[in-house]
Amino acid sequence: MDGKSCRRLQSANLCLTFSFLLHFATLSASALSITVNKEECVSETVLFPGDTVSGNFVVIDHDIFWTPQHTGIRFTITSPVGNQVLDVKGTSGHKFEFKAPRSGAYKFCFYNPVAAPEIVSFYIHTGHIPHQHDKATDEHFNPVNVRIAELREALHSVTAEQKYLKAREVRHRFTNESTRNRVIFYTLMEYVLLAIASGLQVVYIRRLFGKSIAYNRI
Amino acid sequence: MISRAATLLVVVAVIGFLPNLSESLRFDLQSGHTKCIAEDIKSNSMTVGNYHVQNPNENTPLPDSHKLTVRVTSSYGNSYHYAEHVESGQYAFTAAESGDYMACFWLPDHSPAITATVDFEWKTGVAAKDWGNVAKKGQIDVMELELKKLLDTVNSIHEEMFYLRDREEEMQELNRTTNSRMFWLGFLSLFVCLSVAGLQFWHLKNFFERKKLL
Repeated sequence: MDGKSCRRLQSANLCLTFSFLLHFATLSASALSITVNKEECVSETVLFPGDTVSGNFVVIDHDIFWTPQHTGIRFTITSPVGNQVLDVKGTSGHKFEFKAPRSGAYKFCFYNPVAAPEIVSFYIHTGHIPHQHDKATDEHFNPVNVRIAELREALHSVTAEQKYLKAREVRHRFTNESTRNRVIFYTLMEYVLLAIASGLQVVYIRRLFGKSIAYNRI
Repeated sequence: MISRAATLLVVVAVIGFLPNLSESLRFDLQSGHTKCIAEDIKSNSMTVGNYHVQNPNENTPLPDSHKLTVRVTSSYGNSYHYAEHVESGQYAFTAAESGDYMACFWLPDHSPAITATVDFEWKTGVAAKDWGNVAKKGQIDVMELELKKLLDTVNSIHEEMFYLRDREEEMQELNRTTNSRMFWLGFLSLFVCLSVAGLQFWHLKNFFERKKLL
């Protein structure tokens, strides 16, 4: 009798931890890119108060003619009740991390001040670490699960850094290729234009001294 | 003791599974407008996405004006998923080519412009794997499943590092060739400039000597 009840308890424990962990297995982490024309907003739901929301974004600009007036785009984070968590202006990339005081839908908005659309690559992750004081779990709570959750969160932060570096590398690549194009093609065009300009100069001088002087010489 | 464990299980199951329905990326879509979201996917990696339009009115079925059209294309133009006038859907495929995959959502035109809220989730790589199946097939322990997941994540991080390293190498090569080209083109510029000036000078000298002005 005791053995049977013990086994049933064990399976209940397993089911408990399984369902608990399976839920946390699907916590969101998305790395996507969108085209920001004027304003683009994305919202993500935070399930538990006290969760850490971390993320980053990089502006992948093909068009690198940013004037001194427009140095980048504006990024804001708004909490579910409406107050601003973060507001950065004129950036081409930013990393953020904050502890969400309440659960709900947090809004992440990008504003583009100029008419040219910009592509923004962003990554947002909400992570939850189950604590020992959680009311839902009483006796059948294994501290190893906390450690595993912490490890998972640390790996997510590494992944976030990687995505940030990858996005920056893409933008750096665009800059380098543009530099290479400018070095080669613009220089060659420069030579051609120089030759044409000097040819035109010669033609003009010839015409200037061509007929009139000969005519005046009589 | 058993019933307490059972109730605890029920409580956790309810808490554990209910929020799953409401959690994903959410954005607004205006009628007549297109919104595209892109993701960089490597070849031979599994990717899963699902989307659904939030019903503004819970009691009535979703009106036609809120049904959207979806198309998922690769960077080469191949269409991997297409759905017209649907309320929700999902797609799953293995990426044949690596590059930017774009999921575009389009809402048909409507005379009072409406805004529909779309819940969207796109998972690639480790997150896209069906862990429930893996657990069932292998009959493995929960903790072992979690650790397997962590191992997969670490492996994908390692692969990503390799990819970044290769890209950095390519970029360094590109910069080095640009630098050497600038070096040679500097000398070429000087040569072109001097030769053009010299030709001009020589040609005009001959011209004026012919015209007996010099």
